[in-house]
Amino acid sequence: MRQDSGDLLQGTLALLILKALLAGPKHGFGVAQWIEDTTADVLRIEEGSLYPALRRVEDRAWVTSEWGLSENNRRAKYYTLTTKGRSHLRSQAAVWLRYAGAVTRVLRAAPALG
Amino acid sequence: MGRVPAWRRYLRFRGPDPDADVTDEIQFHLEMRARRNEAAGMDPDEAWRAAVERFGDLDTIGGELRDHDRRRERARQRREYMSDFAQDLRYGLRALRRTPAFALVAILTLALGIGATTAIFSVVNAVILRPLPYPDADGLVMVWMDNRRMGMREDIHSWPNYEDLRSQNVVFDRMAFYGFAGFNVTGGCPEESCEPRRIAGAFSSADLFPVLGVAPLLGRTFTDDDATEGNDAVVVLSHRMWASQLGSDPAAVGRTLRLNGRERTVIGVMPPAFAFPAAETDAWIPFVVSPQLREARSSFGFWVIGRLRPGVSLDRAQADMSTIMRRLEEEYPSNRDYGINLVSLPRQVVGPSLRAALWVMLGAVAAVLLIACANVANLMLSRAASREREVGVRLALGAGRARLVRQLLTESVLLAVFGGVVGVALAWAGLRILLGVAPADIPRLDQVAIDPLVLGVTAAITIVTGIAFGLVPALRASRPDLTSALREGGRSDTAGLRGNRLRRLLAAGQVALVVVLLVGAGLLIRSFLELQRVHLGFQPDNLLTMRIALPVARYQQQPQRVAFFESLVERAAAIPGVQGAGAISTIFLTQTPNSTNFTIEGRPRTRDIDNVEVPLDAVTPGYFTTMGIPLRAGRFFTAADDGEAPRVVIINETMARRFWPNEDPIGKRFRYGGEEGNAPWMEIVGVVGDMRRTGYEAPVRYETFQPHAQRPLTALSFVVRTAGNPLTLVQAIHGEVRALDSEQPVYEVASMDQLLAGMVAQRRFTMVLLGAFAGLALVLGVVGVYGVTSYLVAQRTKEVGLRLALGAEPGALVGMVVRQGMLVAAIGIGLGLAGALALTRLMASLLYEVSPTDVATLAAVTVVLAAVTLLANWVPARRAARVDPLVALRAE
Repeated sequence: MRQDSGDLLQGTLALLILKALLAGPKHGFGVAQWIEDTTADVLRIEEGSLYPALRRVEDRAWVTSEWGLSENNRRAKYYTLTTKGRSHLRSQAAVWLRYAGAVTRVLRAAPALG
Repeated sequence: MGRVPAWRRYLRFRGPDPDADVTDEIQFHLEMRARRNEAAGMDPDEAWRAAVERFGDLDTIGGELRDHDRRRERARQRREYMSDFAQDLRYGLRALRRTPAFALVAILTLALGIGATTAIFSVVNAVILRPLPYPDADGLVMVWMDNRRMGMREDIHSWPNYEDLRSQNVVFDRMAFYGFAGFNVTGGCPEESCEPRRIAGAFSSADLFPVLGVAPLLGRTFTDDDATEGNDAVVVLSHRMWASQLGSDPAAVGRTLRLNGRERTVIGVMPPAFAFPAAETDAWIPFVVSPQLREARSSFGFWVIGRLRPGVSLDRAQADMSTIMRRLEEEYPSNRDYGINLVSLPRQVVGPSLRAALWVMLGAVAAVLLIACANVANLMLSRAASREREVGVRLALGAGRARLVRQLLTESVLLAVFGGVVGVALAWAGLRILLGVAPADIPRLDQVAIDPLVLGVTAAITIVTGIAFGLVPALRASRPDLTSALREGGRSDTAGLRGNRLRRLLAAGQVALVVVLLVGAGLLIRSFLELQRVHLGFQPDNLLTMRIALPVARYQQQPQRVAFFESLVERAAAIPGVQGAGAISTIFLTQTPNSTNFTIEGRPRTRDIDNVEVPLDAVTPGYFTTMGIPLRAGRFFTAADDGEAPRVVIINETMARRFWPNEDPIGKRFRYGGEEGNAPWMEIVGVVGDMRRTGYEAPVRYETFQPHAQRPLTALSFVVRTAGNPLTLVQAIHGEVRALDSEQPVYEVASMDQLLAGMVAQRRFTMVLLGAFAGLALVLGVVGVYGVTSYLVAQRTKEVGLRLALGAEPGALVGMVVRQGMLVAAIGIGLGLAGALALTRLMASLLYEVSPTDVATLAAVTVVLAAVTLLANWVPARRAARVDPLVALRAE
């Protein structure tokens, strides 16, 4: 994620955020932590772009937010996936996986990499 | 995650705070990260630093988030506001539908006030506010000669003076001269047999069109070459002329017309809105300055207009031009006592008296609007009182007072908007009528329309009006005594009393405004009546007048001109129904194109005679008797006073008294011109009564008359005294003219009554309009007073019933109510009189022989208003006293 920015990156980050919220509402830190845990630290979220991304997905009504109390009684903003967000996640995930699958096939085809 | 407990919610009591929220969110994230770092082994400070570093640029990111959140919050508030507003509108509409009678009366009242204001404002906008149709019209200046000898501030120039002013000044970019001309037009029209027409036109220097800054629609305007002998047979036409005479021919340039018997080529056509110097100007010709004219410093016949250099103020220009004129005064004794008076063109077109009249009108309609607002405010107060229960319930259920006031205000603005829409319709209809009866000499009246600016101002006025009459009732309504309001049929007395004082105040204010308007109208009426009583010096009834201008080209010999008019007088007098006929050079003097100084035989030159100028007029015999002007001494002209006979002259009384105070002027001689002049001596053979030559309002001037046979002018005003309506004989007279000369048109045909009416047309118009508004205000005011008293009386129905039941005399009760009502009216009348005394001096320029503090008018208005308010108080009082006590006691 520390590479170039651009629409592709933004869209991908949004996708990851939506997936992260599929299991249930999380606060911003929770989303970052989940992605790092799930990718076994391969992907490290640039925290500076996380919160703007959260705002963007909220603007698109894929996510709603409300203030709540965290596990240790601190005030935190929790994000929840909406129905619209869920369907967007499903369709975009399919696209991504198809794309990734195609790229993987190309890279795995002969001639083999060294 | 848990729900935020209620007590925490109060931390956000004042509404969402986007900035603090962003801070909180980032703070939380950093703290979580720091804890993780600590758990991984870092010490607290290091953990925090690492967290911050990992996050990124706090300031930038925080700023970005804050901007985003702030924008979102603002959008949300806007949406909420909009939906609240929509709800208020729906609620307001429903409330109005529930009380249709109230709504109708209120809307109608408001419509009258707003409509009148809109109509008058659109007139003010078109006549005063809108700039003239010339680019940079503020830089256009009329250059008048300040003729101190005759006391004329706006006199015209001679060519040498004009040329000196033009070449020596440093303040004008360009200057041009022009003059008025009339043309008999023949030829050029579609059918060959078209009637000769008389049109108004102008001559000018080549610079006139560049000074004004308007380019021709077709062709070109004059160059300096056109103003030379032999090249000047050209003409520029107005758009109107091009359309009517040449059929809007796109190839009109190059065609010819015959003007005053001379063939001229059309070189240009002006665009539609162009009309200078007069609205009727239809053709412009160049002016060739003859060698004699170049030396004729005392021959005045040129109007001058100039365009100021950018950045030069009128004051500076005035100073500069005055300096030049003073130099000329010293150089040329004949220029003595001639100065300069600069008037900017906008101010010239709409003069101070017209401006004053229009602003007075605007003030009047504003007063009418205020009175209408007061009426509606009273209505709303009554309505608010009857909605106390509904409002009480809403307050008890937790509605915020601000929200409630906003909703009630929306209702009153809605009412105002309806009133405004109806008002604009009324204004539109009213303007049609107004423009139909308006005097013709109010400039730019044809441009009056309800345009976007007027609509915008009307909209603003409407909203302000709605808030004005709705604010106090809304504030009052949202503060009722909850307990009594919620009780069945509750009406609290204390709230009522507070409302009463406000009502009385409004009523007094209305009465005051009505007084001011009535006084204003009364003063104008008195002025007009005073004017009508001015003695004109002749008999104006059943007089027909017209002008006939013989073209010099076809009447070059003097005997021809004399013969034409002599025959015309003879033939006209023979028509049945005609009691007399005659002609004079001009009936009414508007400028002094023909005036001169004079020298009395045998009198030494004294300064006061030297500086006096008298008009020269030519009359046919029979003129004075036709006009009904009396002979004070000597005799009238006869046929014997012809071109061969000794020169004779008739003067008027005022001149005789002034210059021959203790002697008989008959037989004395004088001549025109100064000491060096060589005009022939004329013997005074008669003295006639004074005639007001410049209209009702100007003072009597000196007058001298020569027989037409001895001064054969080509253009005369022809007058005919008829037995019946003068306008019925127009065709007959025209027939006689045509019989003498088939190509000769007559123009400016009018009866003397029409001419005189035209002179006072503006005054009459202002008077009628102000009278109408004052009348409207009176009606609204009376309705207001009646309404207030009715309401107050109805409030006390129980008390009245009690008193009656206990044996009180109905008469005494009526007296009590009326006394209280008249106290309010008296305060109002007093305030109104004070206001009138203060304000009427603003309209002093509109008055004639009437003081702004005229006692008779003030007294009359006081009496009228006292009587009217007495009636308005007495009727409801009497109705209340007649009520059955039992019914009254049972009523709420």
